[in-house]
Amino acid sequence: MNFFDHLAGNYAEVLALTGEHVVLVLQGLVLASLIGIPLAVLTYRAELPRSVVLAVAGVFLTIPSYALFGLLIAPLGLGTAPAVTALTMYALLPVVRNTVVGLRGVDPAVIESARGMGLSRRQILRQIELPLAWPVIITGLRVATQLLLGIAAISAAVNGPGLGNLIFQGLSSAGTPFAVYLALEGILGIVVLAVLADLAFAALNRVSTSRGLRVD
Amino acid sequence: MAIAPAPTEPAGGTGAAGPGPRPGGARRLLRYAGAPAALLAVLAALYLYVGAHDLDRIERRSLNAEYLLSRTWQHLGLSLVVVVLILAIAVPLGVALTRPGARRFSGPVLALANVGQAIPTIGLIVLFAVAFVSWGIHTIAITAIVLYGILPVLRNTMVGLDQVSPAVIESARGMGLGRAQVLWRVELPLAVPVMLAGIRTALVLTVGTVALATFIGAGGLGDVISNGISSNRTVVLVTGSVLVAVLALAVDWLAGIVEDVLRPRGI
Repeated sequence: MNFFDHLAGNYAEVLALTGEHVVLVLQGLVLASLIGIPLAVLTYRAELPRSVVLAVAGVFLTIPSYALFGLLIAPLGLGTAPAVTALTMYALLPVVRNTVVGLRGVDPAVIESARGMGLSRRQILRQIELPLAWPVIITGLRVATQLLLGIAAISAAVNGPGLGNLIFQGLSSAGTPFAVYLALEGILGIVVLAVLADLAFAALNRVSTSRGLRVD
Repeated sequence: MAIAPAPTEPAGGTGAAGPGPRPGGARRLLRYAGAPAALLAVLAALYLYVGAHDLDRIERRSLNAEYLLSRTWQHLGLSLVVVVLILAIAVPLGVALTRPGARRFSGPVLALANVGQAIPTIGLIVLFAVAFVSWGIHTIAITAIVLYGILPVLRNTMVGLDQVSPAVIESARGMGLGRAQVLWRVELPLAVPVMLAGIRTALVLTVGTVALATFIGAGGLGDVISNGISSNRTVVLVTGSVLVAVLALAVDWLAGIVEDVLRPRGI
């Protein structure tokens, strides 16, 4: 029995776990965006709050994944809850940092002229700053997605969902001929998702970036 | 408007691809003294938390000084070996790939390394463990973690060397320096800040990844976390997690200072 025979027999589970993996990463990504983008918008003009937010998000990202999952089990128990929380915390830095960098990268002269045209602060943010910062924000989301796809594999160690379960099944069947196949199925599933996510973000960037900003 | 480059590294660590500005007086003091003070406070809180518990026999098996120290030393030892290997492989490779003759390989190598980065570390460790059963567990753990940490150092070495202005190299050549002299006295010093940022990322990544060595029985502080999960003892779980987190944050802090000190003057 080679790898492809094994995959053919196991594809239903691989697909189900791939689905769980995608949902898990999306949950973390959406939560991090809902928290991180408003946080960046609120703090990007004020030096102290901005550096505090970035420092805290930096500390989150520095905490090793197994330790963060472990710390979150204490209040949240095993399963999906600590996994989603940890992924949200990891995604915060790329999301917040890129939003801040994007918003701060907007040419002050552009904002000045918008104000001269009579736009309010809120209008400038919605119509000028966010659209101009959008490509950078998308890049942050893309980086966060790549990060989360890998880290989400650890969630299986705390009885969470996703493709990590195949990797750990491989580990627990070490010594059998299927061990390598199981681990490979988990790994390749994640690599394929990473490649697909990159393509999806490239497409999203093209479709959603303001027309005047496109390079081509 | 130019599209800003991604300011974040796709893999852990607070170190960005580029070096940050040198922090000024009060800020620097806060950064240098604030982090260890906070980490010591966390450790003190952990000590009080564990001390307030009436430990049962299972908890005492993990939470005694001898066990914790042995796992910490294992963790540091594994991390040190891994980091030395990463530097010994990635820096020379980065230098070689930016030399004129080999430049055409640099694109494919970086592309391969980027795809490799998508492989989750735990996947690599487990795959090696089940595929190379005859290797020792430490060899397996070290090989997998080294492979994973090479990318940030390799990439930043190449980026650092590539950003050195050709005009600077040209004038150094014009002053009569040989190729090797230009590399040692001009290119590498100018590339150091970017290289250090990559090394810092790799360091923090390594300390965190070594915590996963426990899954294949290679020891380290991850053992304490695993003991806590498998025996369903929160106090053990929290102790292991806090120790691993504090270790990673301490290494990041230390690497930040080294980064500031080693950055050549005048840059």
